[in-house]
Amino acid sequence: MWIHSGFLALLLSSTLVGNQDAPQKPPEPDKHEAPAKQESAAPQKPEAEKNSGPSILIRAKRVFVRPGEVLEQASVLVRDGKIIAVGKDLAAPKGAQVLEAEVVCAGFLDPWSALCIDSGSWSEPGATAATRAVDAFDPWTPESLRKDTLRAGVTSVRIQAGSYSRTSGVGSVVRVAPQLDLEHAVVNAASCVSMNIGLTSNAGGGQSVEFVDGQPTLVDTRGRPMDTFDRLSDLDRVLSALESGRTYLYSLVDHKHELEDWQKKIVEKETELEKDAKKAKKDREKAQKEAEEKAKTFEDKRYREDKRPQPPRYDEDAEVMSRVADGVLPFFVQAHRVAELRGLVEGTQDFDRLRLVVVGASQARTCAHQLAERGIPVLLWPALRGKGAPEEYTGGDPSLAGDLARSGVSVLLGSGGVDPASTRDLPLLAQLAIGHGLDRVKAFEALTIGAARALDVSDRLGSVERGKDADLLLLDGDPLDAGTRVQRVISAGRLVLNPED
Amino acid sequence: MTTPIFRNLARIPALAALALLAPTLHATGGKIVIKAGRIITQSGPDIQNGVIVIENGRITSVGADTKAPWDAEVLDHPELVAFPGFVEAHTSRGMDRSNENITVTPFLDVRDSIDPISFYFEDSLRAGITTINVQHGNSCVIGAQGMIVKPFGITIEQLQVRPQSGIKIVASPRPGASRALQAQQLRGAFADLRRYLEKLVQDTKDGKDTARREALFQGRDMDKDENKTGRAMEGNANWKLKGFEIVPRGEVDDKQEPLLRAVEGKLPVFLYCDSAASVLLGIDVARENGLLGTTTLVLDGDSWKAADQIAAAKLSVILSPELVYSERDPVTGKEVRTFVPGVFDKKGVHFALQSLNQSSQSLWFQAATCVAWGLDRKKALDAVTRVPAEELRLGKRVGSLEAGKDGNVLLLNGDPLSVKSSVQYVVLEGDLVYDRSKDVRVRQLIEGVEQNNTAPSGAVEPGDVCGDEHKEVGGDPTKKDPGEKKDETKPDHDHGGKKD
Repeated sequence: MWIHSGFLALLLSSTLVGNQDAPQKPPEPDKHEAPAKQESAAPQKPEAEKNSGPSILIRAKRVFVRPGEVLEQASVLVRDGKIIAVGKDLAAPKGAQVLEAEVVCAGFLDPWSALCIDSGSWSEPGATAATRAVDAFDPWTPESLRKDTLRAGVTSVRIQAGSYSRTSGVGSVVRVAPQLDLEHAVVNAASCVSMNIGLTSNAGGGQSVEFVDGQPTLVDTRGRPMDTFDRLSDLDRVLSALESGRTYLYSLVDHKHELEDWQKKIVEKETELEKDAKKAKKDREKAQKEAEEKAKTFEDKRYREDKRPQPPRYDEDAEVMSRVADGVLPFFVQAHRVAELRGLVEGTQDFDRLRLVVVGASQARTCAHQLAERGIPVLLWPALRGKGAPEEYTGGDPSLAGDLARSGVSVLLGSGGVDPASTRDLPLLAQLAIGHGLDRVKAFEALTIGAARALDVSDRLGSVERGKDADLLLLDGDPLDAGTRVQRVISAGRLVLNPED
Repeated sequence: MTTPIFRNLARIPALAALALLAPTLHATGGKIVIKAGRIITQSGPDIQNGVIVIENGRITSVGADTKAPWDAEVLDHPELVAFPGFVEAHTSRGMDRSNENITVTPFLDVRDSIDPISFYFEDSLRAGITTINVQHGNSCVIGAQGMIVKPFGITIEQLQVRPQSGIKIVASPRPGASRALQAQQLRGAFADLRRYLEKLVQDTKDGKDTARREALFQGRDMDKDENKTGRAMEGNANWKLKGFEIVPRGEVDDKQEPLLRAVEGKLPVFLYCDSAASVLLGIDVARENGLLGTTTLVLDGDSWKAADQIAAAKLSVILSPELVYSERDPVTGKEVRTFVPGVFDKKGVHFALQSLNQSSQSLWFQAATCVAWGLDRKKALDAVTRVPAEELRLGKRVGSLEAGKDGNVLLLNGDPLSVKSSVQYVVLEGDLVYDRSKDVRVRQLIEGVEQNNTAPSGAVEPGDVCGDEHKEVGGDPTKKDPGEKKDETKPDHDHGGKKD
């Protein structure tokens, strides 16, 4: 496959600009070129155009810059939606709003949510790989729900159309805060592609989650429940979608090279003909004769000269999957049972650029070392579901997060993407996981930079660093401490929640 | 939207009888003088005891002391009020079927679906609507091309005011789809167009003649000048097509050509949105494909919540027939009612109204409801005359009574917004086409249906061609076109609203 290597290298470099923080790579957003450019540009810009926007200076006793890194007695300066400085002795610019806080940290990101998406799209059964969640983003989600979520400290969420369908399409990261314009509300329109394996809701029978009067409810649907073969075919569907994406990518690369060859040949031919038309003709006839004698096909060459190579037939789903196979888009796959998890991990082995995230993973203990070895993050929903829950969740338990983390698996936490209101409970779920053995710093990482990295938004969200978007929580104690209250929330540089709200 | 030719043929005798219900009272040759006690011109102050002169279907003068030509027929009614005909900015009625089974159909035309003898048109005339924009229904992604008609005539050619008046594009989910899927298909349709055109350019460069052969096969006259020559792509789409000038325009497939025309800004767009979030999607798709300048929003549901974004995009709108939106506050549970035209009025967005049905809640009723909710009377009247006329790009032809405009005049026995008023006469392009005193259906409603239920006198006897249709002739005035949705079973006579 000599043709591909060059192109892949090209893609590799271009990919890196977009995703400096792919989960497989060390989390060093600052040392990369792209963010460095942003950061160097950031301080100059505001100085050049002074008073371009109101700025906010936050003085805090402690600033949680990133997981495990705390600055004592520091300030954060925010302007034009960005953090423009973090440091010890920052002076407040003229006209700046000065806020005091005990603790400042990055806003939480729920990587598995049903908030801010319209319910019809959320339950869309016919979503394909190319269905975009950002088109289903609902800026008019009830304000009370959003404020509740902000009060809990969650400032952004990942949404998916057809969340619990076989394929959920392209997911987006959006902000929770109300009254943001679309440009600020959508952080990343294409954050991942998501699919689901072996869910009872996919079976066309058994139980499924449906919206009744706007409330998600488990509904018994008549028919055949999901059986082993359904799950196998689900797994097969996910792997073959990946394969089709890769095939599409290869044929695109092939076409590119064919086209280059063809153009080169045309140019060569033209110069040759110009040089000596007669000689060229003789040569060609000779070549043809030789070919005929040797029983080779001469037509092939002629064909390539006469006809422009055709590009591969466009297929929007294969196009999206090609980006997944190439690692440009992360791939979130929900799977719960041992067989499905093993099948998924083993089946994706030869996709070396794939950025897989396993979602749900109720029985992931059995393949923890494989996940750790391949560096596949796991997105968990540390909730105990009672009776009547879909069967795939019965294995879920709050100590799973801690156990996996100890085995070296990178753990993310989400609120399950079933109920728009439950995103509010994300910090509570994290505390539950902490109580059951997850390291506090790892839990904090899971809700901030970890989730941001997995969703390709770590250049904008997830930590309190210069150049990043100003999505900040002002707390009266340690983040993820049960006694801590969120006092103020800044989202996209705007104060969107005050104590009196 | 298949043309029901055979059914229409079979209906001709029935049709002749129906035509009598709104008969060609006077073929005036378009020359008529109307004298009214009061003329509401909608372009200046009202005129007391004024005269409107219409020649060749156009108004030549309006005024108090205008001299009438000696040879014109005179409609002298000092007790009546003259008002310009109402303009229905958007409807999917009057069609054989308003929606298709396939979702992307820019190559279809409502012309082939409009049923000229539909009761809808008769009722519209009775309610004083003289200009109607018929567009494809809202259950699609990209619909058929629409048409502006007048509600009088028995062939589509007679009805026609302007063909291909626009195309329907839907940004809200059609039944059975979600917004995400609708968006995917809507964006996909434009992406398909773009890829098709790019391939066409490439094929032309490569010297292929497939497109030309297909065009000839489809029966297009490729020797015509407009088809022979190519020209660069026009319009304001965010995507540009390089080298399109080398493709003769006749080679663009009929299936794609209307959408290309829309992208080039040559075909107006009626963009339907049933929620605020759909409005954002619609505006985004319109901006991406250069449609913003030619788009009129057709709104429904809580779309008014996006009034700021609509105002920022400088779009004009056609409002839902439901003028008041009610919802429950999610916290308090209280019902909150919003008067939608009021919202747009405050934001300075031009808005037109739609009829809820063609009789009792016709345009006059909608405008009167707006006044009852506190909207300025002038704005309410404009919303059913001048604004829709502008939105349909007929601002120079209809919407007010002034020299040079089409001779569409209503004579009412009172104020146009009064519940006690009714349309007495309708003059349509200079022809008196409706006289309430001769309206058989109204008379039957007031006086009761004749016992033997026979055809009105003068009805053409049914011929042999349509034995099956005998029963329909003159009978059962309540029988409706199957394509219509919200028909009232009784014909209108009283503008039966409850308020003024």
